[in-house]
Amino acid sequence: MSGFWSGWVKFLVVLNLGITFLLFLAALFVKIPTQADGTTGHVWAHGVLREGVRKLPRWWVLCSSLAFIIGVVYLALYPGFGSFRGALGWTSVGEYERDVAENAEKLEATLVPLRSSSIEQLAEHPQSVAIGHRLYLDNCAACHGADARGNRALGAPDLTDEDALYGNDADTLLASIRDGRSGVMPAWGSALGREGVNEVASYVLSLSGVQAPQDWVDAGKQRFDAMCVACHGVDGRGNPMLGAPDLTDDVWLYGGDFERVAESIRDGRGGEMPAWRGRLSDDEMRMVAAWVVSQRSATTRKPDRYPTRTGE
Amino acid sequence: MASRYRYIEAIEKHAGLLGVLIAIMVSIGGLAEITPLLAKARAVEPAPGYAPYDALRLAGKDVYVREGCQTCHSQMIRTLRFETQRYGDYSVASESVYDRPFQWGSKRTGPDLARVGGKYSDEWHRLHLLDPRRVVPDSTMPAYPWLKDKELDGADIQARMRVLRRLGDPYTDADIEGAPAAVAGRTELDALIAYLQGLGVRNASTTEQEIAQ
Repeated sequence: MSGFWSGWVKFLVVLNLGITFLLFLAALFVKIPTQADGTTGHVWAHGVLREGVRKLPRWWVLCSSLAFIIGVVYLALYPGFGSFRGALGWTSVGEYERDVAENAEKLEATLVPLRSSSIEQLAEHPQSVAIGHRLYLDNCAACHGADARGNRALGAPDLTDEDALYGNDADTLLASIRDGRSGVMPAWGSALGREGVNEVASYVLSLSGVQAPQDWVDAGKQRFDAMCVACHGVDGRGNPMLGAPDLTDDVWLYGGDFERVAESIRDGRGGEMPAWRGRLSDDEMRMVAAWVVSQRSATTRKPDRYPTRTGE
Repeated sequence: MASRYRYIEAIEKHAGLLGVLIAIMVSIGGLAEITPLLAKARAVEPAPGYAPYDALRLAGKDVYVREGCQTCHSQMIRTLRFETQRYGDYSVASESVYDRPFQWGSKRTGPDLARVGGKYSDEWHRLHLLDPRRVVPDSTMPAYPWLKDKELDGADIQARMRVLRRLGDPYTDADIEGAPAAVAGRTELDALIAYLQGLGVRNASTTEQEIAQ
């Protein structure tokens, strides 16, 4: 704040407090002229309402004086009087940073023993899993669902099954969380044509045991061998290095009905897992990964209730 | 004493006079309190790395305002630990210099969006804006299906950029020249997603600088 405006604010503060103070003083001495009936002679509504004169109640005077004193003390201690920062040197940022530091210190006691544990061990640790779950709901549930079963409309994978695009060891999972993933299935529609798309879709579905017209399956296999094997492999089992899905199981990212599979082939897909390293700390990412692992290894999954939303 | 009382009586008994005098007092109060804030607002410099919105994001910002997103979403992370834990670094004034009007908001039915950029994929935003229930089953957000049907008008965006330049945003001739090409064939949905993905995308703290000022 520049010198002039700081001075301006100070001037206004002094002026207003000064006027208030003078009013207090004046109230001690002022004499209000009263008439014989004890009113001021002021009338409203043709004499129905008249203005009486009474002394201010003592509690009111006391409270007002107190408020005045609190105001002055506040301006002495806290920022408010122009550019004067107050005797306490208080700032909202300072208070925030104190709070963060205090909380970090408290949390540190919980986190230190967890840092030497593997993610699989963390998955057995109730406190870590609880924190991981909270972070999951806040950051991951929008795509993977509150129950972690994924979202086929989006192509967000189910995290509760054993199937994982990039491999299901914990380190790969952590890498996916930290750095994100960018899945690219090119669009083959113009190369294959309408018929070609149907044929390849039929072959792909036949890999997971779905009945399809045999001539389409045969023709589809030839096209598949020419175009798709580079990523999905000769046997269609996919490639975790590329995140190319296994086409022989009955796990489907975008849905396993003919139309959805054909759509994936025709228009391609671009699954995007954002990188979380900028938003979550290493500890936090490990606890999220641990929660996911805990969901995966749970043999009997309880139906997940939706989290109760607190606040806002 | 009694004679001075006459003036007060005159004010009390003439509503018109009372109104005029109140208006004068309120104006003086307003001038005294608001002018320093105006001067302060003008002194805020953009945070490092903050440039005026490019054509597509500018269009998206206007869609955001038109659809009233600020009614339910704030863009203002307060200096409170539970807010920064959830949303990222707290907001500072220098991040909003190119927002006219600023989108801080005071009401959160949905989450704060100040640093939502990059949190979800473009495809997530597309599904979510067209039908929020497809990605968040218990969402109460309305669907905005019409956004995908409206194409952007390059000349219109250019006009807005010129106005903003006159107000002081440092758009270059090349920026304005290139606007129609930048938004050609793009829909309002694309623009809004581009705007959202750019929100607080540099999640770096700019606070040290703010305090130093």
